[in-house]
Amino acid sequence: MSDTPIISGHNLNLWYNDTHALQSISIAIREKRVTALIGPSGCGKSTLLRCFNRLNDLIDHVKITGEITFGDMNIHAPGTDVVHLRKRIGMVFQKPNPFPKSIYDNIAYGPRVHGTKEKKELDRIVEKSLRDAALWEEVRDRLADSALGLSGGQQQRLCIARTLAVGPEVILMDEPCSALDPIATAKIENLIEILKKNYTVIIVTHNMQQAARVSDYTGFMYLGKLVEFGETRQIFEHPSETLTENYITGRFG
Amino acid sequence: MNFLQRFTTGTSGNTARSSILKEKSIKTVFFCTAFFAIIVIIFILFFLFLDGYPVFEQVGIANFLFGTSWTPTAAVPAYGIFPLIVGTLLVTLGAMVIAVPLSLGCAIYVSELASPRVKKILKPAIELLAGIPSVVYGFFGLIVLTNFIRISCDIPTGETWLAASILLGVMALPTIISVSEDAISSVPREFKEGSLAIGATRWQTISKVIVPAALSGIAAAIILGIGRAVGETMAVMMVAGNAAIIPHPIWNVLSPIRTLTGTLGIEMGEVSVGSLHYNALFGVAIVLLVITLIINLSAVAILRHLRERGTTRQKRTPLITPERKESLKRFAEVSGITILMIFILIATPWWCVILFLLAGVVWYYIREQISQKHIEKLAFALIISAAVIVLAILVIILQDIIINGLPAISWEFLTQPPRDLGRAGGIFPAIVGTLYLVIGAIMIALPLGVGAAIYLVEYTREGRITRLIRTGVDLLNGTPSIVFGLFGFAFIVLFIGTGVSLIAGQITLALMVLPTIIRTTEESLKNVPQALREGSLALGATKWQTIRMVVLPPAVPGIVTGAILSIGRAAGETAPIMFTAVIFSSRFLPDSVFQPVMALPYHLFILATNIPGSSTNKYGTALVLLILVIAFYSVAIVVRNHFQNKIRG
Repeated sequence: MSDTPIISGHNLNLWYNDTHALQSISIAIREKRVTALIGPSGCGKSTLLRCFNRLNDLIDHVKITGEITFGDMNIHAPGTDVVHLRKRIGMVFQKPNPFPKSIYDNIAYGPRVHGTKEKKELDRIVEKSLRDAALWEEVRDRLADSALGLSGGQQQRLCIARTLAVGPEVILMDEPCSALDPIATAKIENLIEILKKNYTVIIVTHNMQQAARVSDYTGFMYLGKLVEFGETRQIFEHPSETLTENYITGRFG
Repeated sequence: MNFLQRFTTGTSGNTARSSILKEKSIKTVFFCTAFFAIIVIIFILFFLFLDGYPVFEQVGIANFLFGTSWTPTAAVPAYGIFPLIVGTLLVTLGAMVIAVPLSLGCAIYVSELASPRVKKILKPAIELLAGIPSVVYGFFGLIVLTNFIRISCDIPTGETWLAASILLGVMALPTIISVSEDAISSVPREFKEGSLAIGATRWQTISKVIVPAALSGIAAAIILGIGRAVGETMAVMMVAGNAAIIPHPIWNVLSPIRTLTGTLGIEMGEVSVGSLHYNALFGVAIVLLVITLIINLSAVAILRHLRERGTTRQKRTPLITPERKESLKRFAEVSGITILMIFILIATPWWCVILFLLAGVVWYYIREQISQKHIEKLAFALIISAAVIVLAILVIILQDIIINGLPAISWEFLTQPPRDLGRAGGIFPAIVGTLYLVIGAIMIALPLGVGAAIYLVEYTREGRITRLIRTGVDLLNGTPSIVFGLFGFAFIVLFIGTGVSLIAGQITLALMVLPTIIRTTEESLKNVPQALREGSLALGATKWQTIRMVVLPPAVPGIVTGAILSIGRAAGETAPIMFTAVIFSSRFLPDSVFQPVMALPYHLFILATNIPGSSTNKYGTALVLLILVIAFYSVAIVVRNHFQNKIRG
């Protein structure tokens, strides 16, 4: 249990055009722990998550100030190798987004773009990633089938496997269960429990029970501000801010 | 839907009977307008076959299609169209070699790389390229391009296969760019994010995820571009040299060449009606129609398949297993390289071959060493240069016509009739004639097209009849404009007996723009949310009330845009009016719709090809035509953007 943060943000601000979407956020993410970000819709939690792998670069008219460090890497520095950064910080999206390729090719895509060509090595990575994502037994006989034929829950685990195949250190999850049924959700939550042995996980969720179940640390965000951040148990049992308490007890949100 | 209909008829009480009758008759009217498209297609086919049949009977289908000599005016006439078919295919092939890489580069640039500001310049520029009338392209080709080729290749005339292919390639650019850009942009954002989040570079994401996902759309775009190239008449006819020969050797791009469309454009005006030559020309039109229909229907089928796949996601086993795919890929690579090598060996001097070989070997060894970043830089450089070239083409054409055309523009030029065969005087009757033609055409086509679209979207569910009507519209859309010209001549001018007249031209142009109007109206009706209709029906409004008061108002901007675009297109067309409505030089305006008129595109065509020494007036006419057409297009674009912003904001 190391207490040095793997990712830390200092005084982070973000604007979309004139909207001040993130306001002086400082946060420290612990290694090999699950950190949950909760808050009502539009509070900026997904935006914050997308800062960690610079996916906000894809959106026009975004301005960011402040600093986020990942190890000794300054994420938003102009010279940062985004490709390398995203290899180390993987992401799973809200809606499962498998490519319109076969199951095998979906997993092998990442290693291939990073230069792995040998068939045997690819086979090994595909199998390991699928096993780690608890999907191997379900798809081992149809790796050549289109990934679009899988169920929603399977597709989401495929996307997790796809992320694992690149060998990241951190996995960002943007409401990974919001498009899934309760059974598929339970499977993903179990998976997160296992993943945290080897990976740092940051998960954005709408579902407070989910945050309480899977996370070690929780941050509550509201209107672009990080209102409160701390150990999950403390946030849920003795929140220090009334705003947090009101949200958690369901008085708004 | 059924439940709602029952509900509304239940609430309308005593007036139910009369209102039901009214609703039914309205529906019938719309059905008739929709069925009109089918009738037109049947008529076109019927009249083409009626006039084309004798040639098949007297010459024989095989002799007609595969005969290698086309000399209809010789002492012993021969009617073999094989050189014309080969000519059409070769010109199209050449055009695609030029257009496909440029368009794909440009489409990728616009949809993936360009900043919003660059996009704002580039997209209208591409639309502008689409708006230039084909006769203006032909004019530019004749004056500038053929001269350039003649001088730089040191040959007696620049009117060659190469000139035709370059020009057609440029003309096919906007079609291919806009359709494939649509396909690329509609690849779900999630794919892109998913790939980037894994740490793929932008180029890897584009080449391995986005383009493959958009591949069928891109294929459809290319097929549509081919259809456009095959059906084009005026521009090709003006620069191809039009010798009915097969180039020798077959890759001799500096040989003159003649296409199916060019043959119709040149000979239709001089043939005596009812002769075997006349029949042979209709035979040519049938062959042309069949080729373009096959091309366009396959593109439509691909696009429709795509749209359906978007809604129903079905499980299917892939036809080609990964292993087979690998071996197919390898086979394609090897055979492609072999063909290329043979071609290079035959066509180019030996030092070129060695250069190519060296480059290939170097690439093969370096490929492993170059980092992804360098590959990305190289790829982006190529993509950006494609976009720059497209933009440069537009600038060159516009600049040439504006600089040379401006001196001709004067008050006299715009308000006086021509003198001395158009060398002097003005073009007033041509401007007025063109306006008469397009206004008449739109007045005929708009009610028919809007009615048909309302029927297709509002009154039917997808079934056999709608499919039939849609196919009819697609067929009409793919028909080359020269074929409309032939049909107008055979049916309206001769059969109905209007003679060469304004009304014949208006009807012919109306038929030509009908599919565009149906399409755009359909699109804008479909964009009206279903919830609005249900809301209105649930209040007890009848179907027609719902359409009139709820569905049509938000669709009007889209319909207006479509109509203006059609006017622009009709104003620039030459082929459909060449045999139906126009005369070259007239001092007077027509008194009635049964008299012929002057028209700008035809005037330009005759000046450019038949009247030497009319240089200033040629350019002046081209500039006026260009401004007129572009004015229509820009109004349409402004209307569209205005309402798009309104809806978004």
